[in-house]
Amino acid sequence: MVERSTTRLWLMRGLFFSLGAALIFWRLLPLDTLPDGFAGPDLMVALACAWVLRRPEYAPPLLIGGMILLADFLFQRPPGLFAALVVVATEALKARAPGLRDMTFPPEWLTVAMAMTAVWLVYRIVLAALLVDQAPLGLSALQLFMTVIIYPAVVLLCSSALGVRKIRPGDAESLGVRT
Amino acid sequence: MARDRNQNDDFIGPLRRLLVSVLVVSLLGIFLLWRIDSPRVERFRAKVVDIVVPNFDWAMAPVTGAVNIARDFQSYNRLYQQNQELRDELQRMKAWKEAALQLEQENARLLDLNNVRLDPRLTYVTGVVAADSGSPFRQSVILNIGARDGIVDGWAAMDGLGLVGRISGVGENTSRVILLTDTSSRIPVVIQPSGQTALIVGDNTAAPPIDFLDAPTHVRPGDRVVTSGDGGVFPAGLLAGQVALDPGGRMRIRLAADYERLEFLRVLRDYGREAIDTPGSLIDPGVEIEAAPPGTDITSEAADG
Repeated sequence: MVERSTTRLWLMRGLFFSLGAALIFWRLLPLDTLPDGFAGPDLMVALACAWVLRRPEYAPPLLIGGMILLADFLFQRPPGLFAALVVVATEALKARAPGLRDMTFPPEWLTVAMAMTAVWLVYRIVLAALLVDQAPLGLSALQLFMTVIIYPAVVLLCSSALGVRKIRPGDAESLGVRT
Repeated sequence: MARDRNQNDDFIGPLRRLLVSVLVVSLLGIFLLWRIDSPRVERFRAKVVDIVVPNFDWAMAPVTGAVNIARDFQSYNRLYQQNQELRDELQRMKAWKEAALQLEQENARLLDLNNVRLDPRLTYVTGVVAADSGSPFRQSVILNIGARDGIVDGWAAMDGLGLVGRISGVGENTSRVILLTDTSSRIPVVIQPSGQTALIVGDNTAAPPIDFLDAPTHVRPGDRVVTSGDGGVFPAGLLAGQVALDPGGRMRIRLAADYERLEFLRVLRDYGREAIDTPGSLIDPGVEIEAAPPGTDITSEAADG
């Protein structure tokens, strides 16, 4: 039993990594080389938040940090800062996860939205303090807004299609038994 | 279950927290290192791109192709109308082609009469666009040619018609082109009939504004914008686009390159100009001439003009 759940753990970690790689791949496709004044959601952050609140063991901080650092390097962002902020945010969410576990979805959404806002705000403040060129405020805000809006869809997809659900007290898996 | 977890926390918790803080501190350390010693980290970034993007390459080309086919499919319902338009356009273009051929012959004759030598070193390497910047805030593309093909930072990239951007960041097999529309792009240009110099300042829109114009009244919408070669950034005379007025009355440039479909880019080899740094023996015989004899300087000067 232990072996099988360890296999599943590493499988799910691999799945998380490959989802991140797929997102990076999709964003890198040379489809829109024209600037269009629209910023889509940062799906990777939404994904990390959703997994951390459901199955923290599938999305360890090292994996999240490494993935977003890679994205930082590839997307021409200042490397490291965004990754560090997202790791801190996911750790904070993880600490609050036991309280959120028994509640419905809206409080969770609110908490995640607050965490994301904090990440974006601190990111901009640090960049401004260190006099780094940064994106227009409107675009940044739009991206934050889209990420918050897309979060329920990401959660729905993860829980229905990928089986990343909250552990409930009666779950077979929580007792160490696989069906 | 809950108690179980708490017990686990007792001995794993502090260690985990320590590891997480080490992770966060090292990530912030990378950021600070980037802020302090940007070129070194940017070189590292070019290396990362160099390793990652070619791995994606086998999948990127078909997926991009498929998406583009799907997009083209939407325009198939206007096919007949488009065909008619194209025929009309072709007819008009034939007239222009005739004119261009005559001009080309005339130009060749005149060049021959004047004994002009065009710069033979202005050749190019063509690369395929492998990826874009992946971020709505930055405008750049990654080409599949790099240091292996002799690409050097700062060279100009063009599509068939107009200037697209400049190389910034070269890996072994890949290189990044910062597009003219990126917020960090500044290109010195000259506006053709009036000869005014200006800067094209990228601002993340499709039509970058023209800035630092001396006498805007001499410039009209429709004037040609070409690179000026000032500051040794680019060779002079590359077409960038046309002047246009935006609704706010600001001068912008309508780019000549087709930014919607950047697929193949030419990177122009540019080895800089030879500088004349000795006074020459005729003027001052006391000075020893170490560099090339004055004769070559004169020819290179003529080639530049």
